[in-house]
Amino acid sequence: MTAADTIHPLELSVLAHGVAMIAEEMGAVLVRGALSPNIRERRDASCAVFDAGGRMIAQAAHIPVHLGAMPESVAAVRARRPQPGDVFLLNDPYHGGSHLPDLTLVEAVDMGGVIGGYTAVRAHHADVGGMSPGSMPQGATELVQEGLIVPPIRLVRAGALDEELLAFILANVRTPAERRGDLGAQLAACANGATAWRAFSARLGAARLTAACDALLDYAERRVRARLAPLEGRTGRAEDVLEGDGVTDADIPVRVALAVRNGSLHLDFSGSSPQVAGNVNTPAAVTRAAAVFALRTLLDDDVPTNDGIARAISLVLPARSAVNAAWPAAVAAGNVEMSQRMADTILAAFGDAGVDVAAQGQGTMNNVTFGGAGWTFYETLGGGQGASSKGAAPSGVHVGMSNTLNTPVESLERSTQLRIDRYALRDGSGGAGAHRGGDGVIRAYRATAPCTVTLLTERRRHSPRGVAGGGAGATGRNLLNNTPLPAKCRVVLKAGDVVTIETPGGGGYGPVS
Amino acid sequence: MGVTALSVGIDVGGTYTDLVAVDANGCVTTRKIPSTPSDQSEGVAVALQLLGGEPVSRFVHGTTVATNMLLERAGARVALVATAGFTDVLHLARQDRASLYDLSRHHPPPLVARDHTVGACERVVPEGVHIALTDEAIDSVVERVRTLAPDVVAISLLHSYVDATHEQVLATALRIAMPGLEVVLSSEVFPEIREYERTATTVAEAYLRPGVSRYLERLTVRAHSLGVPAPGVMTSGGGMRTVAQAARGAASLALSGPAGGVVGAAAALRAAGFLSALTVDIGGTSADVGLVLDGEPLVEPGGRVAGVPIALPRVLVETVSAGGGSIGWIDDGGALRVGPRSAGAVPGPAAFGRGGTLPTVTDAHVVLGHITASSFSGGVEMDVRAAHHAINDLARGLDADADRVARAMLDIADASVARALRRVSVERGVSPRECVLVPFGGGGPLHACGLADQLSIQTIFVPPHAGVLSALGLAITPERRERMISLLTHASALDRVALSAALTRASAGVADGVEWRRSWTARMRYVGQGHELDVAVHHGEDGAAIAERFAALHQQRNGFTLESRTEVIGIRHVAAGEAHRVSFSRDGLSAWDPERAVDDGRSFEALLAGPAVVTLAGATLRIAVGWTGQPHSTGGWLLTRDGNLP
Repeated sequence: MTAADTIHPLELSVLAHGVAMIAEEMGAVLVRGALSPNIRERRDASCAVFDAGGRMIAQAAHIPVHLGAMPESVAAVRARRPQPGDVFLLNDPYHGGSHLPDLTLVEAVDMGGVIGGYTAVRAHHADVGGMSPGSMPQGATELVQEGLIVPPIRLVRAGALDEELLAFILANVRTPAERRGDLGAQLAACANGATAWRAFSARLGAARLTAACDALLDYAERRVRARLAPLEGRTGRAEDVLEGDGVTDADIPVRVALAVRNGSLHLDFSGSSPQVAGNVNTPAAVTRAAAVFALRTLLDDDVPTNDGIARAISLVLPARSAVNAAWPAAVAAGNVEMSQRMADTILAAFGDAGVDVAAQGQGTMNNVTFGGAGWTFYETLGGGQGASSKGAAPSGVHVGMSNTLNTPVESLERSTQLRIDRYALRDGSGGAGAHRGGDGVIRAYRATAPCTVTLLTERRRHSPRGVAGGGAGATGRNLLNNTPLPAKCRVVLKAGDVVTIETPGGGGYGPVS
Repeated sequence: MGVTALSVGIDVGGTYTDLVAVDANGCVTTRKIPSTPSDQSEGVAVALQLLGGEPVSRFVHGTTVATNMLLERAGARVALVATAGFTDVLHLARQDRASLYDLSRHHPPPLVARDHTVGACERVVPEGVHIALTDEAIDSVVERVRTLAPDVVAISLLHSYVDATHEQVLATALRIAMPGLEVVLSSEVFPEIREYERTATTVAEAYLRPGVSRYLERLTVRAHSLGVPAPGVMTSGGGMRTVAQAARGAASLALSGPAGGVVGAAAALRAAGFLSALTVDIGGTSADVGLVLDGEPLVEPGGRVAGVPIALPRVLVETVSAGGGSIGWIDDGGALRVGPRSAGAVPGPAAFGRGGTLPTVTDAHVVLGHITASSFSGGVEMDVRAAHHAINDLARGLDADADRVARAMLDIADASVARALRRVSVERGVSPRECVLVPFGGGGPLHACGLADQLSIQTIFVPPHAGVLSALGLAITPERRERMISLLTHASALDRVALSAALTRASAGVADGVEWRRSWTARMRYVGQGHELDVAVHHGEDGAAIAERFAALHQQRNGFTLESRTEVIGIRHVAAGEAHRVSFSRDGLSAWDPERAVDDGRSFEALLAGPAVVTLAGATLRIAVGWTGQPHSTGGWLLTRDGNLP
């Protein structure tokens, strides 16, 4: 028989299913209860469970940009001395958050009067105030312009919701009813996770619970290290750029030196740009998410997502840099675009180290926001994936740190004053090669009434690169009535104007034979 | 007694072919024989002969022909006519990638190649026709299609759920130009908003129609030669369709395979007086998980086969790769794993003695003595030594004895199935704790206690004929016809007259002149939502009444309601015949023999405290420690947990 406080390898799978089920169930409760399409349909949200020591035991990720980024939220909450049953709300990128629209709730799970663990739910809200609808303002240079900043605060104290605090928060956003509903769904998901975590703990007993958490983290770490072992001693470097910060067009370099040493992945971002005036900076948590994502692309899909993965990663991030920003730097766009570029650069460094990686994908989310009288509409567009040794790449998909769905043309035309003139694959935009890069897409929007459009796009000057001799993907293009628009801009449209977005193609693999 | 006309259901699985015959009095006869994969009809013929020549009045089978055509991409050559500028609709899909982390993985390819798409110069917008279809535009489409010379043409134009005129005009022109050409319209197959799902469903219908027609013709001929009537087939939605009806609804057969089991489970549940249940059908390679609410299988749109979304209504079933053939292995983190790889039917588990050497879930049951008979049902001999050998091989790598490894394998298989059971219920606002668990299939009753333990379920109802429940569902399911129309209007705009007129329009031409049970559902949502709920609606009601019903269902399923207005996007009509009567009972008396522990289907007294194993017809029931089982008057078993859970 097994000693009371040890876990046999025979038990790992059942434990892994058990904790994954808790996170998955939290996700189901969240999506079921949320009001906004961004959470309900696009699933821009993540749920996770932590042990009493603040270690992440399971995460149900729908979207890679939240990967491994929530332990910082729990750490920030633990520093505030939570009491059992408290639920904290936060979005401050410099105290456990990512960018302001991501509201994160952390519940300190009451287990017989002590904290027995934490449940956390992060969801991208459609608006958290600030200078423009959607809270990802073009040209913002200070965090305070981007929306309401919430350091970790007790929204629920010992089980009781602080209605005054909630009223204060809702008074500072543009769509309070929807925010209240979405926060309610997040609270319900946290509570559901807490109940499930208590039941899981009760089944195991206190001594075995700690052992089980240790074993699950060790297990994920072993699986990561098993993949890294053949790469021991490899080193690589890569450099790439973001095309301006929304204030100026100057390129913003991202540099990574990679080494696999003593079974760990070391990533050194020294030499990356100092933090910039515009809002493409990221806090360290988002950089960590990009690192976890890049590493995960090398692993089997079934490696559990827990803190064991992060144990095999060590990061060096220069202080006050664009990849490790400090208050009061603005960060809203960094979450969607800098995150992509960091993932690109890390994967390129793996390539430089001789690892068989795919060519670069479109490397942008192509954020498009329209606003008119009484309506707003936000969407992101897919493009070309990078080709790999395995074959040609998929076309017209989200790559990297996002994976949300498109909006059906028929739905869009019923809820906005826009018509889509064309939605098609962008032929020939994928890089040439033995294996072709994926093609981007073309989407043409015709305004049927005056409105504004805000574009936050990348890869309009610098192409996604090929690998192993493959060609680059085509850069993207933004057009107003066939006249080029900048990569990042806000334009007033009159009825009949057509904005066309052509998204980048992915890089090719290998020389054309 | 006069002629006892039999209603027969035949379910062809990878390992076994199951037959259930129900006579006019509702009495049930079952047969289970090994499948004949090289020619499925051979096994069907053998099964029918076992009935001893009694006349068959109705013969329904679950067909995998449409599913296999999709899996093997072996359907017709289809040309797609779409609005110019939008002909890539299938290739763009919904823009999410196939795998979050495997950057090379592609979605399965669409059923139409890009060079087989044709753009039509026209445009319908939500308010109606915006750019009219000209004669030149029509001619150009006809010429392009003529050049492509496809087997079938699918037409799916933007917003055709609002105005189908352009689709109809193009179809007429194509039929005149190319007599005999099969043309399928999205406004007829699935008139619902969201162009990708509507187009994909329409193309699937076009892709499957010729092959399904040919298959049904062959089957009819074969049925005649066997002296049985033309077969009916099960649809994904859980109703029976005649061959004539099925040929024009080929896409609605794509998910018919697992529907029969949930239909059979629902019938048995109603007989036992249960309303809400989670169902689990465990076979050789997979476990199918379903949900019964208010005594009926949960039917929802949104299924997907081999990467092809088929938005037609289907009995909700989620499939998990965990069955008797699932293989145990050790991963690179040192953990014991089970599945997703399966030994399948051939070579099958080591215990089958067909040359399999890898340790499977079935082998674990044999090692633990859960399967004690000298042979499996269906005549496969059991090789106990081979099972031990396979599990021992695995145990050596894990520093544990064979019994412990076998137990761990079962726990792992249960954990992955329990996760799916929890998912299908919690996602719909149903708490698994408040459900009865209904296990069936050859392996379901073996795993029921383990699953119930993981889900905190208190009651397990093992249905009668658990080993052949899918075939039973086929034998009794009523014939059913369906039609949907698009509406797109605020519920508040529908007074009694308008709503009644919409219901009449939805049922036009459906099973006219037949006294069938007719029902209607409204597909409803709050304005701005992207998902609908199906709400029952009756003649004489107005929009306000169904809006109220929608709000109540929304509260139950999603946990909240909104102040927003509600809209109706369509009406679906279902006309159903009588379900075949079936008697769930134990006839005659027998005595329980604890040594043999065989349920002979007759009535007897027994109260079994776990651990215990009972041999059922075509399945084995395992009662675990902490559970008590007793025979149920329906012919099934009722298991209850000893004492309540914390």
